[in-house]
Amino acid sequence: MASRIKLIAIVLILTLVGGGLAAYKHTQLGIPLKVGDKPSEWLVEAKVSFIATGEAVTARLSLPAVAVEQKAGLDSRSTGYSFMIQDDLGEYAAVWSADQREANQNQALYYRVRFPERGIVSGGPVLERGKPPEPDDPGMANNIRTAAESIVRRAKELSSNPDTLVVGIFRELNEEEPSQETALLKKHYEEMVGNEAKITLAIDLLKMAGVPVRLAYGVRLDEIRGTQDPIAFLEYHDGVYWQVRDPEAPSSVLDPREFFVWNRGGDALLDIGGGENSKVVFTTTRDSVPMDQLTDLRSSGLLVSTIFGLPASERQVFRYVVLIPIGAFVVVLLRNLIGIATLGTFMPVLLAMALLEMELKSGLIMFGVIVAAGLWCRFLLSRLNLLVVPRVAACVVIVTILMMILSVVSWHLGMRDGLKITLFPMIILAWTVERMSLTWEEEGKRSAIMQIVGSLIVAVVAFLVMEQRQVRYTAFYFPELLLVLLAGIILLGRYTGYRLSELLRFKNFQPAD
Amino acid sequence: MKAWWHRFMRTPGELHALGVVGINMRNARFVLPNNPRKFYGRVDDKVQTKALAQARGITIPETYGIIRNPAEIRRFLNVLGDRESFVIKPSRGSGGKGILVIAGKEDGYYLKPSGARMSVVDIRNHLQNVLAGLFSLGGRRDCALVEYRVRAAKMMTDISFQGAPDIRVVMLHGYPLMAMLRASTRESDGRSNLHQGAIGIGVDIATGVTVHAVHHGKVIEMHPDLKIPLLGVQIPNWDQILETAVTCHEMTGLGYLGVDMMVDEEIGPLMIEVNARPGLAIQMANGVGLLKRIEPVMKRAKAYPHDEPRQKIAFARNTFAARRASELLSRHD
Repeated sequence: MASRIKLIAIVLILTLVGGGLAAYKHTQLGIPLKVGDKPSEWLVEAKVSFIATGEAVTARLSLPAVAVEQKAGLDSRSTGYSFMIQDDLGEYAAVWSADQREANQNQALYYRVRFPERGIVSGGPVLERGKPPEPDDPGMANNIRTAAESIVRRAKELSSNPDTLVVGIFRELNEEEPSQETALLKKHYEEMVGNEAKITLAIDLLKMAGVPVRLAYGVRLDEIRGTQDPIAFLEYHDGVYWQVRDPEAPSSVLDPREFFVWNRGGDALLDIGGGENSKVVFTTTRDSVPMDQLTDLRSSGLLVSTIFGLPASERQVFRYVVLIPIGAFVVVLLRNLIGIATLGTFMPVLLAMALLEMELKSGLIMFGVIVAAGLWCRFLLSRLNLLVVPRVAACVVIVTILMMILSVVSWHLGMRDGLKITLFPMIILAWTVERMSLTWEEEGKRSAIMQIVGSLIVAVVAFLVMEQRQVRYTAFYFPELLLVLLAGIILLGRYTGYRLSELLRFKNFQPAD
Repeated sequence: MKAWWHRFMRTPGELHALGVVGINMRNARFVLPNNPRKFYGRVDDKVQTKALAQARGITIPETYGIIRNPAEIRRFLNVLGDRESFVIKPSRGSGGKGILVIAGKEDGYYLKPSGARMSVVDIRNHLQNVLAGLFSLGGRRDCALVEYRVRAAKMMTDISFQGAPDIRVVMLHGYPLMAMLRASTRESDGRSNLHQGAIGIGVDIATGVTVHAVHHGKVIEMHPDLKIPLLGVQIPNWDQILETAVTCHEMTGLGYLGVDMMVDEEIGPLMIEVNARPGLAIQMANGVGLLKRIEPVMKRAKAYPHDEPRQKIAFARNTFAARRASELLSRHD
């Protein structure tokens, strides 16, 4: 009896603490319980990283105008640096500076911008202040120049204004079968500038055609991506306004729902003094909570803010981590209440996590094909009488090879999802193959197949639950509710009733006498 | 009017009325409170189990040798001497995994009971797998026991299709609750797991006479392959079997356990292993829910906490005697 009282006490405490914190967040901080109740907003975080050389450090990061003019920007985590915003005639930059940093030390600086999902057009036309700019001559060598001139001439013949000229130049450059001149120029520029060859070439060609142009940088608003490198855009002056275009789709205005232009005005995105190997990467996160309230949450005590005290790039990891307990809960339900047999206790949760990364359908196909083929190879191996460790290792190698083959095949068939396999699902698959082949040998194919099907069912159910937007939202914004989940699991741990599978198992139970 | 789904399942109410124990109940109410974790080593490690059993004077299959490292695998033939039949068991194996039975020798090859041949190299490979932990819980390194192969009593092999049946007695606080015989069929291929098609035969605690039998959950009276009656068979040395089971409870300190035994033609009952979480199929085999036996035992244990093993056996025999036992026995003869 005493243990029952303890149990009830623990469950009550967990429920009260978890539920209380969640209630506080909802009523006091105004975080909505339902997903999509408030308009979403984007949080774009730039992370500047470099290795200090040992001298005084100055880091200058160009900023979007919206960051300063609408006070949407916030710098964060830059201990030891003095920080200021530089305003150069409407073009802004964040400047961090510090005295000597220890040499060879990795430095990271963050700057975040937060803006509503709708309402900010970062790539729209901007009126030039002062007199219209003059394009400078790109300065090219002889044969290159001749080739460039002939492209410009052709494009000019077909266009009437800067807008159509931009489209025309890109049409030349994007031609499936490029003209001789284009091919020559492309090759030359690829040798010269590498990565950003096309856009640099386009800029030079446009300058030659007399259109003022410069580089702009932006990011894709897509939270699945994780960290991304800045995307180079083209900014040109159409006579009145500065316009931004995506080199991949030069004829249309940038979609503000898809891209955020971070840096306009042609300044370098990043300048570092006293550091080397410098780099900017961006993380974009969609938040469904209005800015001012989330700031409240972030500045609350550690107990309330929990994962929101972290920078966005680190917080991103938790989108998945907070789902694991939910998967575990599903496993408890399906095993102890329904009685589905699985391969290993929590293997289905891992499998469900892998499905989250791969999409359901292609993930299941992939899983089926690889497990079947892996098993077959594994049986061929078992004839060689290998010892355990080399055998598991051989299994890992086989699964790796299979994944490579499958990825290549699916790419050629046009199924791009197949390529998303990462390290994580691979280990799970290799392990599943080994585990299943053991079960197959020891307990026969019937129970091996039952267990693998059981695991798949549990994994798919866990996946379907974990995939719900409401579930993800709740788990992410109210991580303290995990305590309530814990209480639920503890209660289920004391369930001594029958499992559904037992009602079936004992259906023929005949009392003797 | 019963709903359609009653054809496919029992309701929890029905099962409860029959006294059927489910896995959750077994774990939460009988295994966890009565079996302290620290005693598990005594039953999970057969080397330990056998040492304990020997100290208590329980008859067990003679150990020819214990193989603990690769050097001993090389010297394996010395351990064996000139014996031609033996069994290799992983010390920490579970559920019968990794047990290799050698019934004889022919042209320099060892023979499994099925007639399959194994060379000395094959056997060394098997030993290596055992040592590497292939069959042990959690893949831990293990050692291998080489021991006497039980020559099952004729009465036992008669009712089994290949392979010798084993007897399991499930006990609570040292009171025998239920017993069953597991006999293999063509389908189960020498194995005695009920879900792999072996037959579960309920044994009367009072007399050691078989009283009930199930195959794949259905009640049967005849062996499906051998076509001989399964009920009314008297298990030899029943008194000794019950005493051995109760001694196993005392030596392991586990409150809820199953003891597996085999009956040798010459030596009599031998204790094979002890299980700290015996399965629930024994209820089907006996046609009795475990709760029907557990409840009287709990009452008795509370009222007479100082029962001697003898008294425990006497109580179980009196309380759980099957009415049909003597009738079936006479019918069988």
